[in-house]
Amino acid sequence: MDILASVAQGLGVALQPVNLLACFIGVFIGTLVGVLPGIGPVSAMSLLLPVTLAGTPEAGIIMMAGIYYGSMYGGSTTSILVNIPGEAASVVTCLDGHEMAKQGRAGAALGIAALGSFFAGTFAIVALMLIAPTLARWAVAFGPAEYFSLMVLGLVVLTFLTQGSMAKALLMACVGAVLGLIGLDSITAQPRLTFDRLELYDGIGLVPVVMGLFGIAEVLHNLERPIAREVIKTKLSQLWPNRAEWRASAAPVARGTVLGFFLGILPGGGAVISSFASYALEKRLSKTPERFGRGAIEGVAGPEAANNAAAGGAFIPLMTLGIPPNVVMALLLGAFIIHGLQPGPLLMSQNPTLFWGIVASMYVGNAMLLVLNLPLVGMWAQLLRLPYNVLFPLIVLFSIVGVYCSSNNVFDVYVMVAFGILGYLMRKVGYEPAPLVLAFVLGPMLENNLRKAMILSQGDLSTFLTRPISATCLVFAAALLLAPLLPALRRKRAVVALDETA
Amino acid sequence: MVNRRMLALALAALALGGSALAQDYPAKPVTLIVPWPAGGSTDVAMRAIAEAASKHLGQPIVVDNKAGGSGTVGPATMAATGKPDGYTIAQIPITVFRLPLMQKTTWDPLKDFTYIVHLTGYTFGITSNAESQFKTWNDVVEYAKANPGKVTYATPGAGTSLHIGMEQIAAKAGIKLTHVPFKGGAETNAAVLGGHTTLQADSSGWKPLVEAGKLRLLAIWTANRSKNWPDTPTLKELGYGFVFDSPFGIAGPKGMDPKVVAKLHDALKKAIDDPAVQEQLAKYDMVVNYKNTEEYRKFVAESVETEKKVLSDLGLAKTN
Amino acid sequence: MNAPSSERRIVLGSAELWAALLWLAVSVLVAWAGWDLGIGTAAAPGSGFLPFWTGLLMCGFSLAVLWSTLTTAGPSIASLWSGARWGNVIFMIVSLVVYVALFETLGFLLATIPLLIVLLRGVDPVPWRTAVPLAMLSTFAVWWVLKRLLLIQLPAGVFGIG
Repeated sequence: MDILASVAQGLGVALQPVNLLACFIGVFIGTLVGVLPGIGPVSAMSLLLPVTLAGTPEAGIIMMAGIYYGSMYGGSTTSILVNIPGEAASVVTCLDGHEMAKQGRAGAALGIAALGSFFAGTFAIVALMLIAPTLARWAVAFGPAEYFSLMVLGLVVLTFLTQGSMAKALLMACVGAVLGLIGLDSITAQPRLTFDRLELYDGIGLVPVVMGLFGIAEVLHNLERPIAREVIKTKLSQLWPNRAEWRASAAPVARGTVLGFFLGILPGGGAVISSFASYALEKRLSKTPERFGRGAIEGVAGPEAANNAAAGGAFIPLMTLGIPPNVVMALLLGAFIIHGLQPGPLLMSQNPTLFWGIVASMYVGNAMLLVLNLPLVGMWAQLLRLPYNVLFPLIVLFSIVGVYCSSNNVFDVYVMVAFGILGYLMRKVGYEPAPLVLAFVLGPMLENNLRKAMILSQGDLSTFLTRPISATCLVFAAALLLAPLLPALRRKRAVVALDETA
Repeated sequence: MVNRRMLALALAALALGGSALAQDYPAKPVTLIVPWPAGGSTDVAMRAIAEAASKHLGQPIVVDNKAGGSGTVGPATMAATGKPDGYTIAQIPITVFRLPLMQKTTWDPLKDFTYIVHLTGYTFGITSNAESQFKTWNDVVEYAKANPGKVTYATPGAGTSLHIGMEQIAAKAGIKLTHVPFKGGAETNAAVLGGHTTLQADSSGWKPLVEAGKLRLLAIWTANRSKNWPDTPTLKELGYGFVFDSPFGIAGPKGMDPKVVAKLHDALKKAIDDPAVQEQLAKYDMVVNYKNTEEYRKFVAESVETEKKVLSDLGLAKTN
Repeated sequence: MNAPSSERRIVLGSAELWAALLWLAVSVLVAWAGWDLGIGTAAAPGSGFLPFWTGLLMCGFSLAVLWSTLTTAGPSIASLWSGARWGNVIFMIVSLVVYVALFETLGFLLATIPLLIVLLRGVDPVPWRTAVPLAMLSTFAVWWVLKRLLLIQLPAGVFGIG
């Protein structure tokens, strides 16, 4: 009953006209930066922070939060339409989402992404209300050893489920991890693998790598074939997911939501790992895993739900412990502080109206996003009617702008071109870019936690096996690595691999 | 409205063909590198200062968290790649002076920076998990005597004042502690809350958690007891005779135009004079410690000398 | 893509073989770089610890890939590009590199509009009357949204246009 009363109080705050307006502006800007690749919520929020200071703390924070979850919504659009993931969490959406678009099912993919996100977002908010304080304990139970093992599991899960050669996938994961380590060492500040190039001291940016490997490589790949895109001939028969697609998506959305919510609570790569893990899980559970990577709607529904649920989960450590799990949450923390509020264990009891007002506004914001995005689905899908010789220069334009805006550095545009060529060649020889990207994101965190765990255990490697959470992750990882050696599973993988060569 | 007008002015300046002339400065947002993870006490304080200073500067100051290497990765990156145009500046923690004395580094604190203004210092403290057996600092000392190396402490990185301070304390108490370098306050909070390390030695980012009774403050490193925690003893009272505060300021890459330095200095000075900012700083027990550009430069040279002595006494200085 | 055509066992021309050898070289380089940086001890791992071990792992995986190319021949390098319009690929890469080199000097608007026109005309030409307005409109639209709506800086170039 207490919670119901609190929610009612929160809704009272969220539905005040000024807060409704703040919420709308937030989700609108969020959708915009989400759709534009490279321009993430972080830059938009930093630039708009001063604007929010004019109003009440509630309005300011509601708007900032709106930008964040709004951008999660918009992120899938470019992945599906043109194979450019705006951020790491939407890399997996490219795999099947873009295939669906090529088959003329862009509408279905966009629709399921929006509705899956809505469901996941709603679930995350309800869970946030009910069990936030309990879950905060779970988040801090993860120490260096646990993070290390979780990241190893994340990488192994992904490689196990990639198509074709597992050795190649693992090789790509290693390459990604090494690329991620370029720059100054996070513990000793020594430059590593920089070849004395000053530009590399700062490390390689994620955005140019991702845009190169996916966006530019895809364009190069398409250009070498005669331009007569199937899409033009195929009628955009259905702008909405049909009944069978709904049924196929329901369970993946539910599973992705739960998975994403729990992983989102963890500081660091929660949202990224959750989208990859959800994809892997769906492919594993599917009776027809060979459809994955060739336009399976489950491969869009699950990960999209997962990364939105993770966005909700990320609020838990911030609101209950004052520990921001990612940069976006840190910006929100900044907004709280500048308004003279201190998120932490006492926020809920000291400022109940604010706390519940924000939570309730997220619910309102999610509904707004759905209303805002669904009519756009049809419009976006029309974009694919453009002939490819008109479309591809526009894709190049968006990639360049996205990369440049992510760092204001021309060097990054070169990096994008280089990775575009690399991605094109990798595709030719059958290496997949997805494991590289995930390892690139996780590599630095994996290293930092490994080194801390070893210092903590004074060099005793058994620490990874004696701590229960860590041991569980590693046992799963080992099982997945060894599984292909078992004959029954081997046959199953062979079927997948053969099919892919068609 | 002010922002809008400045934007129009900035665009006009660009249209006239002036790329980065000192009198047009600032024509675009300024990036302030904070070499700590978002959410720690430095980050919070720098955000408050940046916010106030951007009003005086007429352009937003955008905080960019580049954590790692005990707070040196950010300044080192800036020294190596930043243009001295005033659009990239960084918070300079004391490790920037200290690390080059301990190991091979890519920068020289006396040559590679243009120092702008000195701002404030920290309140440091040692905390333990409230559910742990350690109720006072002496509990820790007793346990550590019986179990050498078993007590672990999280700091924001190797060579930070917290690391050096803890080692000095341990040497004086005759105990051996194990140091675990994290990237900054938000991470050390999580480490001690989750019981991954026994102790946390960090600046006052632990404040909300101590107030909520999740962490216990064992000792504070200031000269006198803090108003916020009158029951917590200082290191002096515990018989160690140390005071550590690790002051910090702001610098840009070497070779900045003095006019640009002056503009930044004035805006930041106004920011720390702002009572609202001072109130924010007080929440984290930071006291304004203003030094102008010239004084700051002298202070850097002095600090490097003092650090040399401390590090060689502890046996942590670079051998070459 | 890698059609298992067992009759075509051209080992020396095998694309897979050369790719695996390339990765092997990269992994040796990485492991060496790690060794050079210092591995440290188990209780205090150094900067080179992870690069070194990752390099060794990469060695193992690239050897595994190498082994599989020797047992089952993959497509040859020539076959991968047979029938491909690789001229388009080169054209696009060269245009991009030239564009990036001129980007800061010319500024966003002056560099991007010609790039789009070149791309629109160079590969399967779009009629001029579509290409020029399209290039100008899309560039201006992006420029307006970024600069005015989101307040993001784009280079104006030496002529200060944009």
